[in-house]
Amino acid sequence: MGRVVGGIGSSHAPSFGTVYDKGQQKDPMWAPLFDGYAPVRAWLESLRPDLYVIVYNDHMNRFFFDAYPTFALGACEVHPQADEGWGKRDLPDMRGDPQFAWHLARCLVEDEFDPTICQEMSIDHGVMSFMPMLADTNWRTPVVPIAVNVIQHPIPTARRLYKLGAAVRRAVECYEKDINVVVMGTGGLSHQLQGARFGFVNQEWDNQFLDQIEDEPEVLASLSHRDYMERGGTEGIEMINWLAMRSALGPSVKRVQRTYHAPMITGYGLLALAPV
Amino acid sequence: MDEMIAGTPVFTGERAHAGYRLNRMAMSLTDAGHRARFVADELGYAREMGLDETEVEMVRQRDWKAMNDAGCSIYLLIKIAGSLGQSLLQVGAHTSGRTLEEFMASRKGH
Repeated sequence: MGRVVGGIGSSHAPSFGTVYDKGQQKDPMWAPLFDGYAPVRAWLESLRPDLYVIVYNDHMNRFFFDAYPTFALGACEVHPQADEGWGKRDLPDMRGDPQFAWHLARCLVEDEFDPTICQEMSIDHGVMSFMPMLADTNWRTPVVPIAVNVIQHPIPTARRLYKLGAAVRRAVECYEKDINVVVMGTGGLSHQLQGARFGFVNQEWDNQFLDQIEDEPEVLASLSHRDYMERGGTEGIEMINWLAMRSALGPSVKRVQRTYHAPMITGYGLLALAPV
Repeated sequence: MDEMIAGTPVFTGERAHAGYRLNRMAMSLTDAGHRARFVADELGYAREMGLDETEVEMVRQRDWKAMNDAGCSIYLLIKIAGSLGQSLLQVGAHTSGRTLEEFMASRKGH
């Protein structure tokens, strides 16, 4: 039997990669964000995780509108880095865990989730941008990615993501191996990348979200897409991915780290939670 | 009728379909060889990818707002722009009807 030993919510952004690769983590514009990752990294090492399940979204890199999956699960030995249109970063490919992924696939389908199951799945900055701040880039710990459609509406509800995380927890707990699993949910926080409200950030909403994901996730699961997009921008709808992380932890959690920083056109959030 | 969120339409499947040719060309630019061909002959590449002449003209004009309005996803639009040396900030500002300089000036004090 496996167990969920931790949960991490994090923003993702191409800019994380640029800052990291140029060694600008201590730049005053970025230090308030990047400094938050160091204690989470130390905590993550102490958990000795065997596996990361990462609920994220692809940004038109692995998946295209010709056949766009609502949920896609990677069952792959290797997850190469996607070329997003400007070349790859100098990072090794990530390792997958097809044995656990097929177990997860069976459990999710039994639980009435029906993901597209991918035997080839490159991963983009939705995973690759924040992971180098959390782990050595030799990627000792494998990842099982779950990509969520948060781009082409209709997209799944916040409630659906909340239920997905609970289903991931059930799958971990009935796995044949005794493993420690950390579940991550990534995206957001508020940002608006296009149109009349380009550059919109809502710090008040972002901080309310960080409060409620910890203590009142049911409230967040009950919100509509319109609620999320009016408060956090049309692209900020990615925040619903965090709900899967939260419900995978069970009802009670203890906060390990919380960081928020909004230097430009995105509210960046980081939250690490331990199940109680 | 598009569902609007504070002046911005929700990116629906119908919009993705309306912009399908632009979206498909942009997706092809995740390949370095395709990017090189696009940069060498952007209009020829766009026609080869099936864009109509209105869309080809949008590319020629760097009219990011027109492409976005026509259903090109912002995540794909920045692949076209990136290949041509423009940034997300330039593209986003343009879709809001402003230049990058105007946008940055509006941010002062934030």
